[in-house]
Amino acid sequence: MQELTVQCELCPKMCLIEPGQSGECRVRINIDGVLRTVVYGFPCSIHVDPIEKKPLFHFLPSTKILSMATVGCNLHCKNCQNWEISQANPEDSRAVFCPPEKLMELTKQYQCPSLAYTYTDPIIFYEYTYDTAKLARDKGIRSVLVTAGYINAEPWKQLLKYVDAANIDLKGMSDDFYIRVCSGTLKPVQEALVLAKASGIMVEVTNLIIPTLNDKPEQIRELARWVKVNLGGETPLHFSRFFPRYKMRHLPPTSLKTLDMAREIAISEGLHFVYIGNILSKTGQNTYCPVCSSLLIERSGYTILQNWLKEGCCPDCGKEIYGVWK
Amino acid sequence: MTRRKFIQKLIKAGSAVIVGTWCLVRKATPRKFVRAIRLKKYPGSLRPLRDVRKQSKWSG
Repeated sequence: MQELTVQCELCPKMCLIEPGQSGECRVRINIDGVLRTVVYGFPCSIHVDPIEKKPLFHFLPSTKILSMATVGCNLHCKNCQNWEISQANPEDSRAVFCPPEKLMELTKQYQCPSLAYTYTDPIIFYEYTYDTAKLARDKGIRSVLVTAGYINAEPWKQLLKYVDAANIDLKGMSDDFYIRVCSGTLKPVQEALVLAKASGIMVEVTNLIIPTLNDKPEQIRELARWVKVNLGGETPLHFSRFFPRYKMRHLPPTSLKTLDMAREIAISEGLHFVYIGNILSKTGQNTYCPVCSSLLIERSGYTILQNWLKEGCCPDCGKEIYGVWK
Repeated sequence: MTRRKFIQKLIKAGSAVIVGTWCLVRKATPRKFVRAIRLKKYPGSLRPLRDVRKQSKWSG
């Protein structure tokens, strides 16, 4: 029994793990022929963030969200902004002991109506995420996933039952990009996005624009079209600014001009709520009514300057705006 | 070679083939898991909870 290889079927990598070894995520380990998670209840980071930082612009705006992560990730993006924790080995890291019940206490203590599984990827601490989200549902606390969506369909469907909102990365529109930059593939991510939207949770999409790799107008148009056709025009799309980090320090940060261009293309493709992030912009973070173009929410960075929404509707034309507003 | 020695060699060779095949089959048909079982001891070091109120430096 001790020499049995195990296969982890959580994510599309389907890692074959020899005894004493871990999967690609570094946190799921074969011990005596049984798959074990070493990070359950041991987050490396817990903080209270503004929900706009996730980014989520259509979910409980201007509220605080308790945000946590363990080390590890099933992708290895060369541009990772959080590589110090996402690409860390658990044995080299420092964590706090914080079981799901303690996370519930913290959300209450810091008056957070929601809890985010974020910073690295909640997929790799699946069992911890699942149990916490289930408990949170019982306690009336909403659960938010910030993820690359690289997960197999069955465990994803099970998890989505206890999730209220998600920001899912769509990093590029080709397998080649996913393979070269992220060590993943595109199709599972697209499937995860469609499943998430179909499950009824509130979905926002983020695309990090990396100069020379995925910043061509035709690439952006293809991505926007895919979101419109498969997720719907009401799905918020965030174009994020790239900063040179980890194994991509040779590329410049994304310019405001490129981000503005991407936003214009996505709007012209029929997406109603397109935002730019990781950069200050006069209008790129505001929400406008898709029918009458009235300014609905004015933002500056993570701060909401004005919110004119009335019961989730445009005060001028009454159009219901996609989102969870209270 | 006597008949007895021949049969002994045959049994040894047959056993080796069976054991080898068994090992290969076990490798080729791993135990499959979706859910992992929680390990109660963290392999890294533990620290006290602090700075929760402070906005994270991490993206996301």
